[in-house]
Amino acid sequence: MVYFIVKRMIQSVFVMLAVAFLAFSLFRFVGDPITQMTGVETSVVDQERLREELGLNDPFVSQFIRFTGDMLQGDFGYSYRTRQPVADMITERVPATLELGVVALIISLLVGVPAGVYTALKPRGIWTQTILMTTLVGVSVPTFVIGIMLIFLFGVQLGWLPTFGRGGTVQIGNWESSLFTFSGWRALLLPAITLGVYQLTLTMRLVRAEMMEVMRSDYIRFAMARGVPMRKLHYKHAMVNTMVPVITIIGLQFGGVIAFSIVTESVFQWPGMGLLFLESIRFVDIPVMGVYLVVIAFFFVLVNLVVDLLYVAIDPRLRLRELE
Amino acid sequence: MKILKLAFIGGAMGLTAFSASAETFRWASNTDPQTMDPHAVNSAPVLSFLNNIYEGLVRRNQGMSIEGSLAQSWEPLSDDNGWRFNLREGVTFQDGSLFNSEDVMFSYERASSEAADVRSWFAPVKEVRVVDDYTIDFVTNAPNPLFPDSIANFMILDKGWAEANGAELPARDAENFATMNVNGTGPFTVTSRDPGIKTVLTPNAGWWGAAEHNVSEAIFTPIGNAATGLAALLSGEIDFIQPIPLQDVTQVEGRNGFKVLEGEETRVIMFGFGHEHEELLYSSDVTGANPFQDVRVRQAAAHAIDIASIDRVLFRGKIDGASQLVPAGISGYSEANSTRPAYDPERAKALLTEAGYPNGFSFGLKCPNDRYINDEALCRAAASMFAAVGLNAELSTGPVRDYWPQLREDAFDMYLLGWSPGTFDMEHPIRFLLSTPNSEKKLGSWNFGGYSNQRVDTLLPSIQQEIDPEKRQAMVDEVVAITQAEAAYIPLYTQPLIWAAKDNIDLTQRADNFFMLRWVTVN
Repeated sequence: MVYFIVKRMIQSVFVMLAVAFLAFSLFRFVGDPITQMTGVETSVVDQERLREELGLNDPFVSQFIRFTGDMLQGDFGYSYRTRQPVADMITERVPATLELGVVALIISLLVGVPAGVYTALKPRGIWTQTILMTTLVGVSVPTFVIGIMLIFLFGVQLGWLPTFGRGGTVQIGNWESSLFTFSGWRALLLPAITLGVYQLTLTMRLVRAEMMEVMRSDYIRFAMARGVPMRKLHYKHAMVNTMVPVITIIGLQFGGVIAFSIVTESVFQWPGMGLLFLESIRFVDIPVMGVYLVVIAFFFVLVNLVVDLLYVAIDPRLRLRELE
Repeated sequence: MKILKLAFIGGAMGLTAFSASAETFRWASNTDPQTMDPHAVNSAPVLSFLNNIYEGLVRRNQGMSIEGSLAQSWEPLSDDNGWRFNLREGVTFQDGSLFNSEDVMFSYERASSEAADVRSWFAPVKEVRVVDDYTIDFVTNAPNPLFPDSIANFMILDKGWAEANGAELPARDAENFATMNVNGTGPFTVTSRDPGIKTVLTPNAGWWGAAEHNVSEAIFTPIGNAATGLAALLSGEIDFIQPIPLQDVTQVEGRNGFKVLEGEETRVIMFGFGHEHEELLYSSDVTGANPFQDVRVRQAAAHAIDIASIDRVLFRGKIDGASQLVPAGISGYSEANSTRPAYDPERAKALLTEAGYPNGFSFGLKCPNDRYINDEALCRAAASMFAAVGLNAELSTGPVRDYWPQLREDAFDMYLLGWSPGTFDMEHPIRFLLSTPNSEKKLGSWNFGGYSNQRVDTLLPSIQQEIDPEKRQAMVDEVVAITQAEAAYIPLYTQPLIWAAKDNIDLTQRADNFFMLRWVTVN
């Protein structure tokens, strides 16, 4: 077990290195940070001096080595745009993104699982057809369109919910949370729904397919024949068996939810990591972009690891194999 | 802590009877000021924001003219080139310390240091001399009538505060105290700042001026996404936003309780040519030559543009055609040369035939797609107008972060540029856009095409030094006449300025796109 985790951690370092390398090789095509950092009246000589000071004239490989070397020593550098330490900028933005992602995930599970079970048990019902049609729209309409539509409906027309930002936040240690105030929850609702719609649809369809599969299996038929009550049959025997693969897939998708919250964050001016990344692209803020991508890679590795460990915990067969 | 501090300042504000009612004012813009340090970045979002907190020796009023701020008066030096500034007495910084000429001297040294992005303002300065506590001389290398105008955004820091907090120089690599904290003499101070998220300002109770606003708290939120910004305004969560996209104007106007504020920026949009290029880079039919080196071809391009149609179709009638590199109303504007080339496709074709291109030719047109209002659409429209006379423009567009580097590398045959004269004088575009590029003398740094005319180069220093307004205008007129005759650029129009606010907000829209809280009234 320990060996397994250590092996994964070592692998993750290589994944992050690879991501950093890819990112760095792309940064040259993003644009010129110097023209974004200086004003129009700044002379070409001063621009060149700044370029030299920041080491932007160095060959790509030595820039990359300097970046990774500094990172390995815990020095994440300073933003070209704001001159603040990148590590602080990113850690300040992590809570907003994580809370948004987790709430989006919870919404998608709370709605997606029951809807999946319902549509599996009543495959020909009129509600099933309606739900399937509606969620199809949810997958095919781009996130930012859904976001803008929600904003204009609930924010502008009805005036029920705020259109941007996080609302009231509470500081708990280093963690700035919007989960403990009423205005925080109001602000969280629309972005979380926007971010969760895709995940919701996926969960629902997955649960539906698995459930229908399980309902056809022999032990369910046998239980039916034995006269086990339908309610117990559906929600105890069938559903639990459905959830094992569903949890795996949803878990793996969570990394994607965090990484792709960029669009949602931009539409709702949600002050998370994604919004920071977008601003950094606009200003060619290479240190922030680099660290953000490495952090996201780390998230993916971490989520995968947790899912693997969960799998071992849930499925006794894997534990046995480990012992042998 | 943050909340406590706010409550304290809110309480303090309540005691000083400012105005009949205390009002919270919320506003948004598309860019967060990168820093609170007035010398670190020379960009409009930063300077506009900090003008609410810090002050210069002089400042611009609602009509853009110069008036006294920390200096009460100024006059040319009698025995030397340069200016004497007589400073206002009894002014205090927000931390309570007294303002005097030492602070100006310190700020000059700081703002002209290598670490400062605003140091180009002080290129003409030879020496600064403190005469006494409230008198300071700026000695220039040559007579410089425009110097007071050129330092309207040079903001004064408290020497003691900066030294005590290790902010003697603007932050270049890592942040310093002045990146996040402020201590100005201005009408507002920052009570909390969360970069990129929210900045809260409250009035400075000890400000020397008489407050014209009735704002008790101002909350600034940057909103990058234009649709989100509009929704925030229409839902009532913010009172004012700058700018809004042109296509949203009817949405705002169509609703009760909101208004659109329209004006003209001082920015002129123009096309530039690769004067220096020996051959076209992106042509499929001309090799080994650059037709744009022929003045007739450049004139033909100018006559191909139909500004009236561009105005009607792309700008809903909100733009005025431009004849020169600054709009009317800017000092030095040449009244004598105020007609722009007429839209005349027949004449354009005739000129092309005369130049030896009866069937036209193809070339590359570079445009940004996120820098100016409707920039990409403008270039598409212009490309089809060019095509109508035989000039086949291969249009390529891209984000501005990649655009300037391409222009610096000469990767264009023709390009789009917008220019706002930082000093609000015609001398500014002559120096940056019309002078022969010379990095040592810091001339022509935005003259990407390398336009060069000896007479213009000789006139520039005389224009910079001439004190007699009539003589000076005559020289400016000559420069404008030369560059018009040579079609150095094709000036197109002045960019519109479009802000939106709730009906109950009164504010001033200044032509430099700066937003001043001290002119806001919440009714």
